[in-house]
Amino acid sequence: MCDVAAVQKIANCLGVPTGKVQLNEEQVVTRTSGQNKLVAGFTTILESLARESKSETAQNSTVSREVQAQVYQWIEYAVLYVAPGSKDKHVSKQLLADLNKLFISKSYFVGHFITLADLAVYYAIFDLVKSLTPMDKENYLNLSRWFDHLQQRPEIQQGEPLLNFTTIFLHNWATGTHI
Amino acid sequence: MSTGTLYTYPENFRAYKALIAAQYSGAKVKVAENFKFGETNKSAEFLKKFPSGKVPAFETAEGKCLSESNAIAYFLASEQLRGGKCPFVQSQVQQWISFADNEIVPVSCAWVFPLLGILPQQKNTTAKQDAEVVLQQLNKKLLDATYLAGERITLADIVVFCSLLHLYEHVLEPSVRKPYGNVNRWFVTILNQPQVQAVVKDFKLCEKALVFDPKKYAEFQAKLGGGANKQAQQPKQKEEKKPKAAAKKADEPEDLDAADEALAMEPKSKDPFDAMPKGTFNFDDFKRCYSNEEEAKSIPYFFEKFDPENYSIWYGEYKYSQELSKVFMSCNLITGMFQRLDKMRKQAFASVCLFGEDNNSTISGVWVWRGQDLAFTLSPDWQIDYEVYEWKKLDAKSEETKKLVTQYFSWAGTDKEGRKFNQGKIFK
Repeated sequence: MCDVAAVQKIANCLGVPTGKVQLNEEQVVTRTSGQNKLVAGFTTILESLARESKSETAQNSTVSREVQAQVYQWIEYAVLYVAPGSKDKHVSKQLLADLNKLFISKSYFVGHFITLADLAVYYAIFDLVKSLTPMDKENYLNLSRWFDHLQQRPEIQQGEPLLNFTTIFLHNWATGTHI
Repeated sequence: MSTGTLYTYPENFRAYKALIAAQYSGAKVKVAENFKFGETNKSAEFLKKFPSGKVPAFETAEGKCLSESNAIAYFLASEQLRGGKCPFVQSQVQQWISFADNEIVPVSCAWVFPLLGILPQQKNTTAKQDAEVVLQQLNKKLLDATYLAGERITLADIVVFCSLLHLYEHVLEPSVRKPYGNVNRWFVTILNQPQVQAVVKDFKLCEKALVFDPKKYAEFQAKLGGGANKQAQQPKQKEEKKPKAAAKKADEPEDLDAADEALAMEPKSKDPFDAMPKGTFNFDDFKRCYSNEEEAKSIPYFFEKFDPENYSIWYGEYKYSQELSKVFMSCNLITGMFQRLDKMRKQAFASVCLFGEDNNSTISGVWVWRGQDLAFTLSPDWQIDYEVYEWKKLDAKSEETKKLVTQYFSWAGTDKEGRKFNQGKIFK
């Protein structure tokens, strides 16, 4: 999900007015900001949002050129791989496994704080994670930790019901006692 | 916004808690200049404000005084650090602060302080295992939690982080910390927060664990002057090569908690050889020569330097050679004995050889140590193996001894029954 809805959510997160967001004739997402400036493309839109925002997340995403580059790398990853891949059963499995591996040694995608990269992937992968059974989630404990961490932030959750990760806990405990 | 002065010595992990908390809240904290540990905090003026005389201690701009690092950190913290508005998260913060003080700090001190030379080496210590249990608990917690309390960094993270600093700096080398991947991830995340970086400068994760160095401990004890006139000794340390490190070492016993104080009170394990005159023979020099030079050089060197007044040469023969079977098992017997005699190493040297082959072999060796009597009786630690050997003192001046020493030091010849030399082990 790297579309109109995702842009709106991320704009809310950053505390920036969304402006007018829609798909153009080529199905590319575009945004017309308050100053009537038109930008097209998901990554470019996020960049413009970050520039307008004064939030911590926006600041952390632009703290240095290196961080900025890494953040855009992950946004591209979200657009090109996560969003389409999460609809395919086999690709999504690989996707979850890859991300889970990544989060073994990292708390966030870039640096040591929440950035736009986390937001972009979070919203792109939301539906996929939502569809997982507790058994499935058990295989992705590190990814679950990251996801749960983000969804607990009210500005990220934005009124969506919290996905349940606590059963992982119970499940762990239960299998433990059965052995 | 709080402002005030923090009294501490440099690189005090307890003071870090307060300084990091201040970074988050923007509290203006000045670290007292010219603070001399053992002097400033023992002065009448200081004791009047802080009766315990312990650091870190904090004085607000209005002259209100606060001691105990966790309290100071709480005072200086932002709302987020205190756990936000939710009482449950606030309690979780307290829970982890207590965990740090009760579970982490004691095991960390018990493990790391002997290696820094602050405490004597403990026999049969379980410090490492205890620390592993604590790390295991943390690792489990951090598998599904990004931070310890709530979804933001709190004092819980800062206090636990600070309490783990010694472990991550000195003993958790990559192979040791590998099983605690979640703790490592969390630790690195906290370490790299800009607010933490501003306080904990140039921190490097342990590359190679410290090992116990009796010399360091001896030096440290010498500096303390038996502990009685610690304060008087303190200023001299400033002239040392590494004043920072020295001061740090000297300071820490002061803030040991009760458990460690009890540990420190235990009789120090003294080197039993200390009672004997030192003589002129230097084991280190000889061992270096023996390791680096050909026997043709090192054996004459041995006889040239050997001091028969204060040192003695012994011949030890395994009593139950008929029970020896596989060669490798016999070799393990020898190296096992060497390991159990570890504390003797500094004042002894031996070459123990195995002659013969599987199911037909003997073990015998030439030993040299300080003193004229059988050294093994000096310490209960050394009496595990010596009784299975027949010990004979050798006359250092006789030709026969020279021959025997030469044979054993150069790993050559045969045993009495003509079995050929098979393997040798050196105790040095």
